[in-house]
Amino acid sequence: MHAVDSRPAPAQAPQATPPKPVKRVRSRGQRDSGVAWLLSLPTLLILVAMLGYPLYRMIVLSFQNMRLRELFSGATPPWAGVDQYTKALTDSVFWGVVARTAGFTVVSVTLSVLAGLGIALLMRRVTRGVRMFMMIAMMFVWALPQLVAAQAFRWLTDSDFGVLNYVLTQLGLDYDTHSWFVNPWEGWAVITALVVWAGIPFLAISLSAGLTQVPKELLEAATVDGANPWQSLRNITLPILKPLLMIVTTLSVIWNFGLFTQNWALRDGHPEPVYQTLATYSYTQAFGRSIYSYGSAISVITVLLMLGVMVFYIRQMFKIGEVD
Amino acid sequence: MARHDDGVITVGRSRTGTFFANATGIVFGLIMIFPVYWVLNTAFKPDSEVRSFTPTFWPHDFTLDNFKSALGEELFIPSMINGLIITAMAVAAALVVGFLAALAIARFSFYGRKAIILVVLAVQLVPFLALLIPLFLMLQSANLTNSLVGVALVYLVLLLPYTVWTLRGFISGIPRELDEAAMIDGCTRAQVFWRIILPLTGPGLVATSVYGFIQAWNEFIIINTLNDPKNQNLMAWLLYNQTERGTAWGPLMAGAIITSIPVVVFFLLIQRNIATGLTAGAVKG
Repeated sequence: MHAVDSRPAPAQAPQATPPKPVKRVRSRGQRDSGVAWLLSLPTLLILVAMLGYPLYRMIVLSFQNMRLRELFSGATPPWAGVDQYTKALTDSVFWGVVARTAGFTVVSVTLSVLAGLGIALLMRRVTRGVRMFMMIAMMFVWALPQLVAAQAFRWLTDSDFGVLNYVLTQLGLDYDTHSWFVNPWEGWAVITALVVWAGIPFLAISLSAGLTQVPKELLEAATVDGANPWQSLRNITLPILKPLLMIVTTLSVIWNFGLFTQNWALRDGHPEPVYQTLATYSYTQAFGRSIYSYGSAISVITVLLMLGVMVFYIRQMFKIGEVD
Repeated sequence: MARHDDGVITVGRSRTGTFFANATGIVFGLIMIFPVYWVLNTAFKPDSEVRSFTPTFWPHDFTLDNFKSALGEELFIPSMINGLIITAMAVAAALVVGFLAALAIARFSFYGRKAIILVVLAVQLVPFLALLIPLFLMLQSANLTNSLVGVALVYLVLLLPYTVWTLRGFISGIPRELDEAAMIDGCTRAQVFWRIILPLTGPGLVATSVYGFIQAWNEFIIINTLNDPKNQNLMAWLLYNQTERGTAWGPLMAGAIITSIPVVVFFLLIQRNIATGLTAGAVKG
């Protein structure tokens, strides 16, 4: 922290009298600019070297035709122009993957955020012991690695020995040796359940921490003034929670749009076409079929598709930043 | 007369409301924990009970055989050590580097601030797996493939944007009035950092490192693509193990439990800090 430490005393030299507040703020701002850049420099260097440059290489790759031969020989892959993009954009399979990924993202994020918010609010209402129990349950779920969670759900929904089929059969439904992944809607229901279940702890606990920042006095005052719980939630809690809510929602969108582990593991590392998302599709093209350039082109398109979300997100962030 | 004050903690509440809230909370907790319980339940059962058409809801013949067979695997212990080394390197580096940038973004107004925020936000959207081909080529020319440092570097980039962004949120949550009050009282900027921002960001640092730990520990696709079988982490081992065994559920669940233990222990140690309010009471004095 020497950068901060080395900051000299406030600019007082030109005047003997204490400087006006406005002037002090300005001179501090100029000096701070250098300190701030120094603080940001390590992050920026790492991001440029390990993300910016590979991203550039990926874009170049998407305009070439790199296959297994070029990977081994190290030869420069032949130029292919926009061939890879034309191939993707005229392929109905690719568009199916896009629609599937987008649909899954909307459904899963909506469910997780609503559930997370509901649980966070519920945790303020329950008694201490129950709150502790909920926390412990969520901690275990949160702690469980994605791959382990996916294996657990694979086992729960196993057609022969899975407990889900057993319980449903006991309830009088015909689910004996039922295979959950034959019908894509059912398979996606399992994947969505897994993603929402695994996502709730982060959302609920983050939002619950955010709720502690809502001043109790404000809520008490509102109650005294005759506000009902719904009005308190809408007019006090949610506005204060909004910055955090935006962050966790957008993070959920980013994570769920990039779904890979869950459908990959639940389908044994070989997702059928109906279980492909943009991430697994691109990976399969590149590493499964060794058409690296096509995989890269799909990734570039994925980034472009996310640009809309990104612009919206960044605009929201700056809007909130001004309020800060 | 029933009082409608559900949003308030300190004032009295209706009894029926509390009862239903508690009941909902308990049902929710049970549903959440059931898959975790089922993993444990399966791991301690003998194979005859695992492969039974009538699942037993607790192990009737308690056994540790599944754990013995998982631990006995040749690469299990080396994979665990690899994972710990990689994770520690990546999380520590991300926390130090990320905190500096978060401090700059949250507390300084400077030319280029918006550009930095833009970069940090934008890179989170890059589908990281797609960068594997160029990253592999780069690491190969630097002699860093099939090495723990190479993987740790990739994980650092994976963790960094989120770390910066989350810590920024935590630092912004600390009222500027505290900084200003301290500076009026004669604190230097460095003292403000050490005595106010760092202690109040404590829970944020913990929460962020927990998240970083999980991200790095759970990753298996990148390490699987970059490294030989001997330099994998536990998660990648679990994937290999699974394909070799097909669906030997007992040992798979036992291996999964051992793999999850470091994360769970880490979590339980710091869980108190995660949920505590960040600045509650700080301004009230």
